[in-house]
Amino acid sequence: MNSILEIANLGVVFSTESGDVPAVRGVSLRVEPGETLALVGESGSGKSTVALAALGLLPGNARASGGVSVGGTDVMGASEAELARLRGRTASMVFQEPATALDPLTRIGKQIAEVVRNHRDVSRQEAAAEAAELLRRVGIPEPERRASAFPFQLSGGQRQRVVIAMAIANSPGLLVADEPTTALDVTVQAEILDLLRALAADSGTGVLLVTHNMGVVADFADRVAVMLEGEIVETGAVEDVLLRPTHEYTRRLLAAVPRLAVTVTGSGGGSGSVVGEEAEGAPVVELRDVSVQFGRGPRAVRALEEVSLTVRAGETVGLVGESGSGKSTAARVALGLVAPESGGVSLFGADLRKARGRARRALLAGVGVVLQDPVASLDARMSVAECVAEPLRVHRRGMGAGERRERVAEVLELVRLPRELARRGPRELSGGQRQRVSLARALVLEPRLLVADEPTSALDVSVQQTVLEVITELQAELGFACLFVSHDLAVVQQFAGRVVVMRGGRVEEQGPTMSTLLHPGTAYTRRLIAAVPVPDPVLQRERRERRLALGTGAGA
Amino acid sequence: MDTLLYLTRRIAQALVVILIVTVVVFGLLHALPGGPARGILGPQATPQQITLFNHDQGLDRPLPVQYLYYLRQLLHGDLGTSYTLNEAVSRLIEQRLPKTLVLTVLSAVLGLVLAIPLGMWQAVRRNKPADYVITTLSFVAYSTPVYFLGLVLVLVFTQVLRWFPSQAPQGDTVAQVFADPVALVLPVVTGAASMVAVFSRYMRAATLENLSEDYVRTARAGGSRQRAILFKHVFRNSLTPVIAMLGYYVPVLFGGALVVEQLFNYPGMGLLFWGAAQSSDYPVLLGCVLVISVATVVGSLLADVVQRVVDPRVKGGLA
Amino acid sequence: MSVQSARRWGLVAQFPAPLKARFARNKLAVAGLLVVVLFFLFCFVGPLLYSTDQIHTDLTQVNLHPSGAHWLGTDAVGHDELGRLMYGGKVSLLVGLAAGVLATVIGTLWGSIAGYAGGWVDAVMMRVVDAGIAIPALFILLVVSAITTPGVPGLIVILGLVSWLVPSRLVRAETLTLKRRDYVLTLRAIGGTHGRAIARHILPNSVSTIVVAATFQVADAILLVAYVSYLGLGVQPPSTDWGGMLSAGLTAAYSGRWWLIVPPGLAIILVVCAFNAIGDGLRDAFDVRGRG
Repeated sequence: MNSILEIANLGVVFSTESGDVPAVRGVSLRVEPGETLALVGESGSGKSTVALAALGLLPGNARASGGVSVGGTDVMGASEAELARLRGRTASMVFQEPATALDPLTRIGKQIAEVVRNHRDVSRQEAAAEAAELLRRVGIPEPERRASAFPFQLSGGQRQRVVIAMAIANSPGLLVADEPTTALDVTVQAEILDLLRALAADSGTGVLLVTHNMGVVADFADRVAVMLEGEIVETGAVEDVLLRPTHEYTRRLLAAVPRLAVTVTGSGGGSGSVVGEEAEGAPVVELRDVSVQFGRGPRAVRALEEVSLTVRAGETVGLVGESGSGKSTAARVALGLVAPESGGVSLFGADLRKARGRARRALLAGVGVVLQDPVASLDARMSVAECVAEPLRVHRRGMGAGERRERVAEVLELVRLPRELARRGPRELSGGQRQRVSLARALVLEPRLLVADEPTSALDVSVQQTVLEVITELQAELGFACLFVSHDLAVVQQFAGRVVVMRGGRVEEQGPTMSTLLHPGTAYTRRLIAAVPVPDPVLQRERRERRLALGTGAGA
Repeated sequence: MDTLLYLTRRIAQALVVILIVTVVVFGLLHALPGGPARGILGPQATPQQITLFNHDQGLDRPLPVQYLYYLRQLLHGDLGTSYTLNEAVSRLIEQRLPKTLVLTVLSAVLGLVLAIPLGMWQAVRRNKPADYVITTLSFVAYSTPVYFLGLVLVLVFTQVLRWFPSQAPQGDTVAQVFADPVALVLPVVTGAASMVAVFSRYMRAATLENLSEDYVRTARAGGSRQRAILFKHVFRNSLTPVIAMLGYYVPVLFGGALVVEQLFNYPGMGLLFWGAAQSSDYPVLLGCVLVISVATVVGSLLADVVQRVVDPRVKGGLA
Repeated sequence: MSVQSARRWGLVAQFPAPLKARFARNKLAVAGLLVVVLFFLFCFVGPLLYSTDQIHTDLTQVNLHPSGAHWLGTDAVGHDELGRLMYGGKVSLLVGLAAGVLATVIGTLWGSIAGYAGGWVDAVMMRVVDAGIAIPALFILLVVSAITTPGVPGLIVILGLVSWLVPSRLVRAETLTLKRRDYVLTLRAIGGTHGRAIARHILPNSVSTIVVAATFQVADAILLVAYVSYLGLGVQPPSTDWGGMLSAGLTAAYSGRWWLIVPPGLAIILVVCAFNAIGDGLRDAFDVRGRG
């Protein structure tokens, strides 16, 4: 009975407008001091609910049953005052979204000091000094000065460090981390995971890590519990679960995870797709020395600087980079949605900026678009049929209603959706179905170019796999070129023949995917690849050690 | 540097707005029956006088030229002469405006002092009886015409209870107004009522929104008590949007003052305006509209600047 | 796909209850709807059941207390007060409704054009709105009353013209968000016209915002109609509205004739409250932002 966290037969039911929804059923787990238990699952599996229940932070419409004990305190039976004494001292929490986790109007030093003073009777000055010391421990440079910064003055990674500083302020025995790196870029993710690992090891803290990312699990966890529909289906040591899964669902989940091939001989490469260069076709879209600037005057932001890239007929080009690298802006320039300040854009050999009226529309008829957010990409007020038929209404005005209906049904079948879905509204569809409807809309005019901006990054891996497979198959069948924007190197490696790496609005390097990602030409790309965690604990441990040996200086 | 840039831009914006207001007022002046000449010379003017006046004042010239002429007059602080009170409009307004400001500022302060805690309390007790009662009361307060509310208050507090006088303090100076604070109670309360209603709703909504923010959960996870979270974090965050709304509310306050001054016979700008409307004293009417509008623009400018001071994000140019 | 497997693949588990159900849960809003319906019946069907002469004065029947013959008494020129409440209510409700809708229509057009066009067009149009807001409506109405006395249609137009500013702001904000939605970007990227984006996506998706704004606008307009008579702009006798009855009864109130001001006062408060409560309920049901 020396576990820091012990959950026995936990059940959680949410009462919602449409009745009671069970979120967690019969979950039992324990976290020992000094160990990390990863709770993995896809969205809706109930993993975050378990994390919140551990600290008694469930929202008001939740009813919990079973037992939760943290460091010997019964959380379920505790009063709000008892819970307040426990939170931040015995157990604390790190959340997913660093952008909103901090009070925007309070200086970060004060927010950390508040947690210190919640639990210890120290003066304001002492608390402030401790806050600065904590900032130093989580790797914020010039902690005394930065303590008086407001959250908006920090980057996402720095904000997450502040949240971690708050969490470790009173050296808790248990740290609950709910998707702590999901909102961050991979290089920042690697740094945050290193930090959490070091802090936990220093003080023998037990960690409950909630994540959907198998690479993070492999990098960080000692043991793993896999959740499905509110229940734990498999528990075990990280090597066993990730390398020798026993439950059918775990196996399926792991098979769907795109793996970054790190050696030529490695098992990666998946569907392998197109290796090498086939840049023989005519250019479909071409950006030449494109610069883009948002805003004017002293506040102006240079989003792109002399970016040149070409997509040729039939090929797939992956555009990768971290947030702020300009990859989405480049895609929008190619689509004519953002006007470049200088440089040229040609679409199917014609200058998009000079084309007007009928000529412009004719050019654009050859383009299909799929954007990231499955919720925002379809107008909820239209039926699926109307959404898919919209390009036909724009470009094939003479088409009869019957003919249009037939074409919509055909395309829905292409993306492997049943015809009956045509009458439904987007709200009745799942995220994966919505993205396939977006794809159907993009393909209904048989475009020569598909621009896909992070089409699967909001989806669970299993759903992502289906959507990517559909795109690959249709590309083979219909022969369109594809500009594929993604932050996920593993997906791009699987999917694109050529890759363009962007950084800070510039093209860092480009070339055939396999050779570029296996033998990167620049230090930045090398660092980017080294930061991607692979879902194999043994391999990941090696990669981590190599990364740490290779570039401590490179990180900052 | 940033602040300076912001201020210049914001003031330029305000100037554009004031310019548009002058166009509207100028338009109204020309919409008067008989045009500005009759407006300025008064209803007894003969056609000959009007023609002569029009020529003297350049009113037979094209409208844009006249507009520029009108603007030049405004820049010299010349708002014309009241033909019933026989005094420069600018003088009249100079005497009356401070008293109206006293009334509106007191009403606004009282309104906010009541509305902000009420709204927060409602948010904390959301969907409990107290919330429903206050919500209903604020709907009623918002829906009651100010003159009806004032009448009811006068009947109850001066006729039945005899606590307060039915007239506001008279006197020509602000000091004289403050010399009789009891008489100020009813006018100020009447002016504040709908403000309490509106701003308690805003505050309730803002507090509810902030209570569901992630940072509240972070604070709870750090062991902060609900009360501390409410006062240390939620309060300040909810207050900023409410301050921003204050700017939009300035015209409503002046509208309220118009009725309140008439009702309680308080010699401010509202009463001046009211009297001018009864006697079709157009120079006074349009002068007052102009000054009130400028005061409104300045009021919302101040609200914006205050919001910038309170919210560091705005200063950083983010939010 | 079954609900079970939908949940497994991480799909949204919540299906929001239908609009009607969400509105019905707001008890104040339902009460508001009931009050509005009752008042419309009272004003438009009531005179058929309780017939009174509201055109001719009857100086033998002035200032009577409420009694069996005159349930709410009579006014200073002998009109039956209950009948007058129905008679005046027609004007108040019709003018309020029409002016509120007119203001919303103007505001919607102005706001959606400004928001969609963006850039300097937006800047200029919004400065005009700022200027309009800066001139308090009551002052403008009083100036207008010094110039002219409009009839009912004129009144509707004037009230519509002084109150379209707030809805235009709301609709502009909504348009700004909607035009950056992915489905609008997608449409633009494949060559869809601005007209199509506005007609097929932006306006239909602003409907909830517009409906909520219109409800509040009607409430404000009914209140404004009540001010209009007080300012001397109201409809002329023998016609009247609740505001006219109220301001006519102001002096009578000091001499204890409460029945001349309490019924019209309560009628205004109840109806305006009711529209505000409906707006509140609709806003929560639609889940749109708007006036607090």
